[in-house]
Amino acid sequence: MKVLLIEDEKTLAYEVEAFLKKAFYICDLAHTAAKGLEMLGVNPYDFILLDLGLPDKDGLKVLQEAKKLNPDAAYIILTARGNIEDRILGLDLGADDYLPKPFSLLELQSRMQAISRRKFNVSTQEIPLGEFMIDLQKRIVSHQGTEIELTRKEYDLLSYLLLHKNRVLTRMQLSEHIWGTFADDDYDSNYIDVHIKNIRKKLSVYGPVEWLETVRGVGYKIRKQ
Amino acid sequence: MKLNSKLTLFITLSKLAIVLLFVLTLPYLTGRIARTYTDYYLQQQKEKVLEVVARNGVESYLQGEASYGSYTMLKEEYISLEPVEEGFTLDTIYTDERIIEQDTLNYRVLTHVFAAGKGSYLMEVGKTVETIDQYNRPLQRIATYVLLGLILITLMIDLFYTRFLLKPLGEIIRTKISNRKFPFNDNSEPVNTSTSDFRFLDQSLISLMNQINDAFEKEREFTANASHELMTPIGILQNKIENLMGEPEVSELVQDRLIGMQRTLNRLKRIVHSLLLISRIDNDQFSKKDMVSVTELFGDVIEEISHRLSEKQISLNVNLSEDIELQNVNRDLLFQMVYNLLNNAIRYNKPEGKIHISDRIPENGTYEIDIEDTGVGIPQEEIATIFNRFKKANNSEEEAGYGLGLSIVKSISDYHQITIRVESELSKGTRFTLIFPSVILKSH
Repeated sequence: MKVLLIEDEKTLAYEVEAFLKKAFYICDLAHTAAKGLEMLGVNPYDFILLDLGLPDKDGLKVLQEAKKLNPDAAYIILTARGNIEDRILGLDLGADDYLPKPFSLLELQSRMQAISRRKFNVSTQEIPLGEFMIDLQKRIVSHQGTEIELTRKEYDLLSYLLLHKNRVLTRMQLSEHIWGTFADDDYDSNYIDVHIKNIRKKLSVYGPVEWLETVRGVGYKIRKQ
Repeated sequence: MKLNSKLTLFITLSKLAIVLLFVLTLPYLTGRIARTYTDYYLQQQKEKVLEVVARNGVESYLQGEASYGSYTMLKEEYISLEPVEEGFTLDTIYTDERIIEQDTLNYRVLTHVFAAGKGSYLMEVGKTVETIDQYNRPLQRIATYVLLGLILITLMIDLFYTRFLLKPLGEIIRTKISNRKFPFNDNSEPVNTSTSDFRFLDQSLISLMNQINDAFEKEREFTANASHELMTPIGILQNKIENLMGEPEVSELVQDRLIGMQRTLNRLKRIVHSLLLISRIDNDQFSKKDMVSVTELFGDVIEEISHRLSEKQISLNVNLSEDIELQNVNRDLLFQMVYNLLNNAIRYNKPEGKIHISDRIPENGTYEIDIEDTGVGIPQEEIATIFNRFKKANNSEEEAGYGLGLSIVKSISDYHQITIRVESELSKGTRFTLIFPSVILKSH
């Protein structure tokens, strides 16, 4: 997957780039709208991550022009302006998603994955996890053909951990994914524990769940080869 | 009282007072005028008599007698001549009683001593005062009628004119002051008037509104910039920490520290987030076009927050009317408001406590929702300040938030003209009452 990140804040751009490269994306950077549009004209990209607050051009105009140059790409708007109108305008102009800054890199990857599934039909529909199969498209967890009933939040937690497999996710990162801006660490983190306990309980009826590890003092991770 | 009514009242009263004064002083005035005229008349009579005496001699009056006296038929006037001693002089006018044929009458009397023939004579010319006074009453009455009539006419003219004169003021009030909604960005036309005071007032108001508008725009710009400037470094830090935590060679100790940093950063993020939210609400940056069903709104909030309820084993009792709908509101903001209130009701509740949500429709057309908890309560002296920014309610052992939750509630409620009433009893619980104005209630 090829990603173009148009972001004038260089430090931020390098962090996003480093993260995406580790997640096996190919990532190009542009620090101005002009450079970004130029690169778009030359190379095809799957993802365009666009900061709205660029110094040389209004982000929404850049989006319109970029869409002409590369209509098939998926567009994610990143902005720290926090205007609600921006969000609506951006989505109206054909952006696929909108992430207000500051955003979590894990959340960014999760959104990109979701768009991939929706837009490109790329990722394997069913991912094996121990003895279980996870259908990301249908949002179903099954064991040898038997569907296992999970609540929406339980499923969200499981798929988020699966997406970031072999990586420890803190309770805070998990609760932020589930409750967004309403997340309240210290407070919701206990409930993450309850959720994980429920997931283990529900799944262990069918098979071993030792792949879902508790990392003491930190959080949880899915260990998977 | 309106200026127009005040002016009218004042004009009427002052006119009436003046007329009353005039009518009351009328007898005195007419008395004076009549006296002056009488005196003048008596002087003329005297001159006439003296002329006759000079021409025909005093005998033409005396006709051989020692003195002369004559009066008109109704004794309104009289004249008398009688001899006096040589050297006696008198020349004056005064009011005195005279007895003429048993009638005692008040006369204005002119006396004059003059020399004629062999001796001096005292002449008296008199005119009754009664004839003067008898005009006073009818005069007063007529004056009253005439003046009252005149008042009525001028009053009508005054009324008409002041109304015309004050019309621009009314227009200024109507277009510039009442019915204006912050942030006054609807450009208003200057009011057409030739009265310089009104023009000045109007222009001052327009420039004032423009200033407010500018300040408002600047504030809006500032919020956007501040948001960008604050959120970007927070974002960089967050992503750096995330990347670090993903490194396999990071030791457990460092991992632990990173989590601490992440938590602190998250706290900073939430504070900035809340401050910007308050600032945006106070700046009118949210649209109010949504229609919201109260039961659905509360249902959504409860679904979002249910895990906190079950964690603390708090029982929730919701008793809301089915078909109440709110209009011209911002759904996200109302969600946030109810969320924060419910969250507090949970946060400051006892384990296994209760939360009771109920509503009622009072007579006055408003709509009220109570959110009651059985929590720690708020001390009376702190109730007034709980909505202040960074003011933490009581010293509960619970980790109190960041002191902005209720400030957000206040901003949102003010934004929707929702009144909040707080009643609380220490260690018994707190009741928040939301009073929705009739304007945002959708009538069925």
